[in-house]
This record gives sequence, C-alpha cells and structure tokens, in this order.
Amino acid sequence: MAVVSMKRISIYGLKRDRKAILEMLQRAGAVEVCSEEDGDAAEEKKDNFFGKMDVSSSKAVFQKGMRDIEEALQILNRYEPEKTAFLGFLKGRKEIGTEEYYAFADKWEEVYRWAGRIQALERETTEARAEIRRLETSAEALSPWAYLDVPMRFKGTRSTAAFVGSLPGEHTALELETTLLERFPELAVTVEIVSATKEMTCLFALCPKSQGETMESAFRELGASRPSNPSKIPPAEKEMELRGRIEKLEEETRRIEEEIASFADRREDLKYAMDYLSMRLEKYEVLGKLMQSKRVFVLEGYVPASKAAELASRICTRYSAEAEIFEPEESEDVPVLLHNNVFAEPVEGVLESFSMPGKGEIDPSPVMAVFYYIFFGMMLSDAAYGIIMAVICAVCLRKFKNMEDSMRKSLRMFFFCGISTTFWGFMYGSFFGDVVSVFSKTFLGTEYVLPALWFTPIDEPMRMLMFSLLFGVIHLFAGLFLSGVQLWRQKRYKDVLYDVVFWYLLVGGLIFLLMSTDMFANIAQMEKLGGPVGTIASIAAAIGAIGILFTGGRESRNPVKRLLKGAYSLYNVTGYLGDILSYSRLLALGLATGVIAEVINSMAVMGGGGVVGLVVFTLVFLVGHTINIGINLLGAYVHTNRLQFVEFFGKFFEGGGRKFSPFGVHTKYFKIREDK
Amino acid sequence: MENIGIVLALLGAAFAVLLAGAGSAVGVGRAGEAAAGVVTEDPSKFGKVLILQLLPGTQGIYGLLIGFLCLSQIGVIGGSFVELSAVKGALYFLACLPTAIVGYWSALKQSRAAVASIGLIAKRPNQLGKAILFPAMVETYAIFALLISILSIFGITSLPV
Repeated sequence: MAVVSMKRISIYGLKRDRKAILEMLQRAGAVEVCSEEDGDAAEEKKDNFFGKMDVSSSKAVFQKGMRDIEEALQILNRYEPEKTAFLGFLKGRKEIGTEEYYAFADKWEEVYRWAGRIQALERETTEARAEIRRLETSAEALSPWAYLDVPMRFKGTRSTAAFVGSLPGEHTALELETTLLERFPELAVTVEIVSATKEMTCLFALCPKSQGETMESAFRELGASRPSNPSKIPPAEKEMELRGRIEKLEEETRRIEEEIASFADRREDLKYAMDYLSMRLEKYEVLGKLMQSKRVFVLEGYVPASKAAELASRICTRYSAEAEIFEPEESEDVPVLLHNNVFAEPVEGVLESFSMPGKGEIDPSPVMAVFYYIFFGMMLSDAAYGIIMAVICAVCLRKFKNMEDSMRKSLRMFFFCGISTTFWGFMYGSFFGDVVSVFSKTFLGTEYVLPALWFTPIDEPMRMLMFSLLFGVIHLFAGLFLSGVQLWRQKRYKDVLYDVVFWYLLVGGLIFLLMSTDMFANIAQMEKLGGPVGTIASIAAAIGAIGILFTGGRESRNPVKRLLKGAYSLYNVTGYLGDILSYSRLLALGLATGVIAEVINSMAVMGGGGVVGLVVFTLVFLVGHTINIGINLLGAYVHTNRLQFVEFFGKFFEGGGRKFSPFGVHTKYFKIREDK
Repeated sequence: MENIGIVLALLGAAFAVLLAGAGSAVGVGRAGEAAAGVVTEDPSKFGKVLILQLLPGTQGIYGLLIGFLCLSQIGVIGGSFVELSAVKGALYFLACLPTAIVGYWSALKQSRAAVASIGLIAKRPNQLGKAILFPAMVETYAIFALLISILSIFGITSLPV
C-alpha cells in the first residue's frame, strides 16, 4: 500500500528466442524496458560485439499503416456512422483471445489493402465532387444563352455576318438599333435580344457580310464582348450535355459511396489491424533498445519486486536464457508504480494528475483518500445528492464489468464521495435542501422537518466555520506528519525535530493560545479555554519559535545569515494562517449547496397546493436540482482537489516521479485476453 | 422616507446579483470562446475544457445566494415582512458589497486564468489537475468574500438597531 518497490532486471538470451521472449514479456506487461544510452554500463558494453538494431524504418512502416487505417476508419464513419450505444463508453474494449491475435498475423496485409482502397475511393469522390462543381458553374454560365439556337461561335452565313455577345446593363433591341443607327448610319443591322437582366444583356445581331467588320467595331464601341468560352453546338444543347455529365458523375459518386459503406461490416477487422500494428510498433520500439550481438541479446529493465522472481524463473525455464534481478542503484531514475487498496486506489488518479511521488517520497494516497472523501462530502453536503451519486456509480460499476481501469477508478472515487456526501447531508439535515418540510407544509398541510443529526450550518454558521477550520488544522497537521515520516525514512532524524516538531509546537501552541483569549471566545461563540492552557500553549509556541529561529536557516554557515534566514522561515507562520483560513470554503460551499437547494424548493412551491401546484413543483424541482447537483459537484471536485494540492501537498509533497509504463499491450479497440 | 431601510437592503441584494452575475457572464463567455476554439481542433477535449469554462461561473452563483439570503431575511420572499430601520437596511447593503465587488473582479480575473488553462489543456491534455488549480486559486477570494457576506447577513438579523 504505497509505492511499489522496483527491481532491476537483466535478461540475457539467444537471438533465436528473442521473438518468443519479447512476446511473452509484452503479454505479461510487467517490465519497463530501459535503454542505456548513457552511463558507464553502456560504455562498457559498447565494444564491437554489441550494438543496437536500427528499427526506425520498420517503425515508420507501422506508423504509416496506423495512420492510413485511422484515416480509413474516419472516412468509413463519415459515410456509415458507427452505432454507439448509450453509455457505450463505459463498456470498455472488447476482449479477444491470443489465438485470434496470432491468426490475424497473416491477414493484416489484406486488411491494410482495404484501408488503401477506402482512401483511394475517398480521393475519387473528392475529385468527382470538384468536377461536378466545375461543370455546374459552366452550365450556369450558359443559361442566359438558352434561347440562342445557333452555336455561340456562329460567325454568319454565306451572305451575312453575325455577332454573338453580351453588353453590360439592360437593353432592348429597338434601343440598341436606334443607337447604332445614330452613330453608324451606313450600317444595316438587326438586333435580337437573347436574354436581358439588369446586369447583362445577351444579344444576337445580323448584317450583310460586307459590313461585318463595321458591325464588330460598332459593338466594341458600345462595350459589347463575345463570350469567352463559346461552344461549337447551340448553348441549350451544350447545357444538356453538361447536365448529362453531371448526372453521370453523381451516379459515379453514389456508387463509390456505396462501395465505401460496404466496408462497414469490415470495420472490426480494420480496428483490429490498427491494434495489431500498435502492438508491433511497441515491440519494435523495445527491440531498438536492446543491446545485441550476432547471436545474443541483452534486455535491461525495471520490474515490480512482487513479480520479479516469478518472471525470472519463467524465462529461465522456458527458454535458454538467463534473467538476473538486482536492486537499482541510488542514482537511477526508477519509475514509480502505486498499489493501494480499494478505498485508497481511486484517488490515485487525482494524485497522478498532480504528479507521481518523486524520489524518497511516500505515496500519500491512503491519507489523501480519507480527507478527500470527507471534504468532498462536506462541500456537497446533501443526503439526496449523495445517494443519487452513489447509486449511479454503483449501478455503472456493477453493470459494466469490463470498463477501463481509469474509468473504474473515477467511478469508485465518486461512489465513495457520494457515500460521504450522504453522511454529511444527514448530519446537516439536508435532503434536497429543505424539501421535506417545504413539501409537507404545502401539500400535506403539516410540516415535517428532517432533523439534523449534528446541527444545521445555516442556523449556526460560526460553529460550522470553527469546525471547518478544525478539519483544516487536522489536514495540515497530517501533511506535516507525513513530512516527518519521509524525513525519518531518509534517516534525517534531526530534520524531523527542526522541520516538523518545532512547527507542531509553534502552530499548535498559537492555536491554543488564541482559543484561551476572550476575543476569540466571543467571535467563535465558544467557551474560553481556562486554566493553565494559555500558559502551556505560550510556552510551546515560544519553544517552537525559538527552535525555528535558530534552525530554519541551518544550511548557511554564516551565523548572521543563519539567524536572518531563520527569522524569515519563522515568518512562514503567516502561511499557516492563510492555509487554515482557506478551509473556510468547506463552510461556504456547503452553505451554497443548501441555500441554492432552498431557493429551488421555495420557487417550486410558488404554484401553491393542488394538482397544478404539484405539476409546477415537479418541473421546477427536477430542473432546479439537476442544475444544482451539476454546479456543486463541479465546485466540490475542484475545491477538494485544491485543498489537497495546495494546502496538503504543500506541507510534504513535491512529486516529480516518472510513472511506470511497462512494455505491454496498449491497444485502442480490443483487449487481448491472456490464455493461461 | 420611513421605508428607506428596505430600499437599501434590496439595493444590496440587487448589487450582489448584478455585479457578481455580470462578472461571471463575461468570464464564462470569455472562457467559452477559448474552449470552443480548442474543441474545433480536437472534439475529444470537450469534457475537460467545459470544466475550465465553468470555473468563472461560480461568482454569479454566490451573488445569487447572497441576494436570496438577503431577500429572505428582510421578508421580501417568504412573506413575513418586518419593519426595517434605515440603519439595518444600510447594514444589509454593506453586507452584500463583498460578494458583489470581489465577485465581479475575481470572475473577470479568473476567466483570464481559465483561458490560459484552456490553452494548457490544448497542448497537454493530461495536465487537467494543474490546469484547474490556477483558476481555482483566484476563486478563493470570492469564497472569502462570500463567507463574510453570509456571516454579516446572519449577524445583522439579531442586531438591536
């Protein structure tokens, strides 16, 4: 129940066993392979016999394969969306046996070809769509010319010259003919309008052949131009032809899309190929880290102590290989693996999101778990909300046995948080706020009050504040205690006195000293601590303060500097003041839940009694409390984390450890079941 | 002018809801813009950035809470109207101010931290714990203000003025 102790393992084997041993290790998933890129050990072995294999090209092949298949799956999802069940994300990955896995080794290249086919088809549809768009643009450009029954490049007959062109603006035939006649009296021309809109007029003009050039220049002067891309056949026919091509292309894309969709039933195989490749990629990454000679290879790695002996004996008996297990050296960067019981394990995720324990640090999860659940419960603090949370989490945990570990951890954490919330809810007498009394008063005529088992914070906020701060002091002192444990383990016994005991004396003494004053007793509405408490507390605080003054700067040699640094670290006592006051959020957030719940309830009963009132009540109640759960769940989660990360960890925990990531099967879609 | 007490008290309640709510609205909006940007790139980060977007929203809730407490203490809701002296009304007004003012500014500042943290999540999605912490630090002061407002409102009720 703490940081798992790690052993170093070296496996020496023959190359012919390499594949088998690596596959065995991958499925066992218990060894983190390290490569000795630098360090003396690597230097020693770096003679002519041993070298590393270059695996970058194989890795590149696998990576490209994975990218291609991923893309193919995405394309497939666009055309034939995968049906996902409600709450499907809780189900976890499907399990398959190792036989299936090995059977697939021959098949994956075929599957990979499917992925290639899907990508090619997708490219075809993209091109076809672009072509359709282009054709549609040209067809649209032809539509003003639809009534022209000669080709657009028509130049005239044997005795006539023709002009086909367009003019900006809207014109009529008569108007154009008059204008032309005014400017070019000798020109005998007839104008026919093909189409006219405000933007553009398309026209057809005819004149005797001899005047063709005059007409051409006349129209130029008017600002007319011939169409930029004239067709050989009449425009209407041309448009028909274009439409026909578009239709054909559309048919084609439909066919391609159908073909893509037809791959839908092979989706599983594609996913499988993806997983297969990712496993091989991982194997090759390890392969690249091995030191190898012509016939032998050496594998270096870390293995949890509990699994080390069993693994080593398995390797030695099954293969002609040797496995050596020894303690890692002090200077090594040993990866960190946590192991905790069911109660403390769920908060590992929260710890991980801060940092893994660094060198020489203990795993704070068990202590953290206790406070985490308590604080979460105090902030959400409503029995009904807690029951809802706990029941939902419990049902999901029971129903989906196969879910991913991280998901199971979070659900379990919220399950425990829910139970704690229920507990505190009953302590404070809050069940959907004050719904019991409000409902019974409005609809049943008599008021039943759910009694608080302890006290109601809304009625006695000062009392609640004092208890919040008390919990804070306990939390902080627990952190300080863990700091002492760590120092003790590192055999820094003097530091335990200087950095832990003196602080206990100082902060603890100050708190009791405060509690024995009249002023505090007035504020807190509490009985003043009498008798010798004040004297004892002041003596304790003084001892602590003097101790810190003289030892706080002990890393400096210079006595003056030392004393100044000591004074500075004594000043840190203000930090404790801030830390303790920070726990007032336990009160504030607890009150927030209760008061908002009461707001909702009093809005819900505004409809009065009777059937209508009951309907209004139900609606407002459901919507309001759903929102309130959401908001306060988020608040409780965020601020519980904060209290752990800032106030609690600040006393002893720095983190910075590297998470143990063993060589194993890290697939996306399937779980490989280990056949024993 | 004999009813100035209740006017002042109601003004306080309105202030708390107005200022803290306005701050939160701006803050959540600002963080939402950043969050939407991240989701454009990677929809799978939706859950994470949503948490960060909601963080500057709590001040508005604290404002609502204080507003409601104040209204119920002076009998505007709940029906039991009590005669309020001018001094008491002014006291209620003052009691609402911490939540109103600190709520407004902390929501704005918290939203900036939230936007920065959303950027952090975009680059390093596995650092959610730390990313939540930065905006949550700002919220501490809104909580302190809320605490003083709550304690004041409860305290004023039994004052003999």
